[in-house]
Amino acid sequence: MKSFLAGAVRSFSPGLCVVAAFGLISAGIIALLPAKPRAGLQVWVGDGNHANLYRALAPEWDRLHPDLPLQVSLIAGPALQSRMLSGFYSGTPIADLVEVERGQIGQVFAGPIEDVGFVDLTQRLKDEGLMSQINTASFSPWTTRGHIFGLPHDVAPVMLVYRADLVEAAGIDVSQIATWDDYFRLLRPLLKDLDGDGYIDRYPLTLSLTNPFFSEIFLLQGGGGYFDANGQPTLNSAANVHIVSRLATWYAGPDRVVGDVNMYTGSGLRLISEGYAVAIPGADWFAGAVSASLPLMKGKFKVMPLPAWEKGARRTSVNGGTMIGLTKASKHPALAWELAKYLYFSPVMAQRLFELTHIVSPMKANWSQSYYDRPDPFFAGQPVGRLFLQQAPDVPLRPASPYFSAAIQMVNNVITQLMASADRRACSDPAQMQPEAQRLLDEAQKAIVTQINRNVFLSPPHP
Amino acid sequence: MKSTRPHPAWAPWVFLAPFLILFTAFIAWPLVRSLMLAFEQTFGPRTTTFVGLLNFRAIVRDPMFWVAVRNTTLFTCGTLVVQLPVALALALLLNRPNLRGRTWFRLIFFSPTIVGSVFVGVIFSLLLEKRTGLVNSLLHAMVSRWNPDFPWIDSYVMPSLILASLWLSVGFNMAYLLAALQNVPGDQLDAANIDGASVWQRFRHVTLPSIQPVLNVLVLLTMVGSLQLFDLPFILYADSFGNGPGNHALSIVTYLYQTGFRSGDLGYASAIGWILTLLLVALALVYRWWTRKEEHGT
Repeated sequence: MKSFLAGAVRSFSPGLCVVAAFGLISAGIIALLPAKPRAGLQVWVGDGNHANLYRALAPEWDRLHPDLPLQVSLIAGPALQSRMLSGFYSGTPIADLVEVERGQIGQVFAGPIEDVGFVDLTQRLKDEGLMSQINTASFSPWTTRGHIFGLPHDVAPVMLVYRADLVEAAGIDVSQIATWDDYFRLLRPLLKDLDGDGYIDRYPLTLSLTNPFFSEIFLLQGGGGYFDANGQPTLNSAANVHIVSRLATWYAGPDRVVGDVNMYTGSGLRLISEGYAVAIPGADWFAGAVSASLPLMKGKFKVMPLPAWEKGARRTSVNGGTMIGLTKASKHPALAWELAKYLYFSPVMAQRLFELTHIVSPMKANWSQSYYDRPDPFFAGQPVGRLFLQQAPDVPLRPASPYFSAAIQMVNNVITQLMASADRRACSDPAQMQPEAQRLLDEAQKAIVTQINRNVFLSPPHP
Repeated sequence: MKSTRPHPAWAPWVFLAPFLILFTAFIAWPLVRSLMLAFEQTFGPRTTTFVGLLNFRAIVRDPMFWVAVRNTTLFTCGTLVVQLPVALALALLLNRPNLRGRTWFRLIFFSPTIVGSVFVGVIFSLLLEKRTGLVNSLLHAMVSRWNPDFPWIDSYVMPSLILASLWLSVGFNMAYLLAALQNVPGDQLDAANIDGASVWQRFRHVTLPSIQPVLNVLVLLTMVGSLQLFDLPFILYADSFGNGPGNHALSIVTYLYQTGFRSGDLGYASAIGWILTLLLVALALVYRWWTRKEEHGT
């Protein structure tokens, strides 16, 4: 050792020796410093509103649990997903409770059921009687192979958020609307070229055509979808063929009736406020986002149930959604479980959530609360909470799958191809689109089955 | 000069150690691990199953992979055909002896390279937006018959990507070519001028051969960079996770990302990564062999 040090001093300049010594000493100090223990009960969330709601509880929580203070971390969606998966896969530090959005959950479910990083809540929910107290459909996105891994945050029923000022000024009575055919027939006068330049400046219905979650709203409403309750893909079901053919002729062709808006951007909000968009299908959280983003439009919007695909059929759908999961790595599972139930199901939190975001609680016992009946000035005095809750029992199921992202993308590509075909053939008859829709959806189904069959962890293989 | 203090044998290793440690930790080991992953199916690092060549066999039969290959190839060809000539033209313009404000022009053309592809992607998505985008708004204001909802991004996927890439990278290529042009021997150009060579002849027979080595490197860099296309489509087509309408924006690396980080199939993603790596190496070797042969031939 002596000769090593002597050799080092002899070989290197004094300055280099000092730098090297500093480097070694600081590296040693860092390596020897004890890892900072995770303090308190950790909750990771991806939404700023949720974070504010939960943080407001911290003083009360900390008073009751001085040794385990509440730590709520707001983490951007992709970062939250990466950190959550790293925690599950590699044992890196992870919160006791993690909130996950629907688009993020698929990857958590891609492996063997025993390797899912969240605690299986199925038995616990049954034992505590929560299964029957919570809206059934709200569990479906968080369920894989019959096991429930999260508490549902919401119901996310979909209604039409529409410009009541424009519709009523045109003398249109929306109570006459029962089906989508009625809707487009009655609202056709609003399909207008306002400045005489030969281009439509106002559409009766507006979506983000490239956003596959909008197509999902219509598929689920019409009894279609992507996977059945066993996780088997159903991309080429008869309902899907019927609906995508209709959508293609709405979105394109000579009788196009749907406008395209990049919904969640400044551009989208501008077009909504300028009246380019007369109506947009959106869940309760979307209604909340519109009222928060466009306060100057107070009184100009209303909500109405979605027109049905067929008379007497479902008047709602579902869009978005969040869960909270208890991680297997939690050192305080009992307290975390109690906290999760309080955050999601207590009347106090349900009220705060609704008042901040318009999101209605999935806990049926909360549905009778009077705050849901309050007239909302932004929506021209409508009791928006009650109107969304009236749709809650009809919200469709949407079984989870690790291949959900791939599936919605594939179906949206089918719609894109059908739109191009409708434009090319100048076709506005859905019946004429159906053979092509069937062929394209068959191809998509084959592709997704191939992907699923490749996964050796999901057994038995799909046919 | 002879050293008065001979270094001990281990001294070079001490100097090399930082590089070797970082290289091993962040390049060599991940490479080896990804090669192993390409023959496995995984659910995180703890749950793995050896599947032999299954991932590679599946890729060959995977239509989405071939869509990604087709799109990436189209983008690469489009970029090469558009970007280098534009960069050369700009470099030639800036190389004119009496040009005023050369430094400003250089800064302006080079600045998109500094801001990076994510910024460029966001800017282009705003510029090319239907109805509210600057391009459609301006065109509609100038020509009322212009469709304010003209679907640049939706219907012209590849041109939009190539245009955004042009704006991003043309300054970088221009800077290299400008430096090369400033090294073209002046006496040769003067001699050609005295011999009565036209502008085109001087460019073809004097300038172009002189900048050929730089051009060759730029072609290689552009090819390799284009084959790794990811961030531009990922930002421009965020709604569809980078696929774009009808999968027209899906690139090989986007597909790799989707399979690895959205579907969680890291083995499949690694196999795609290795196919891309082999493709890039093969392409680079062939290109170098071809250009060297050409350089020796001349």
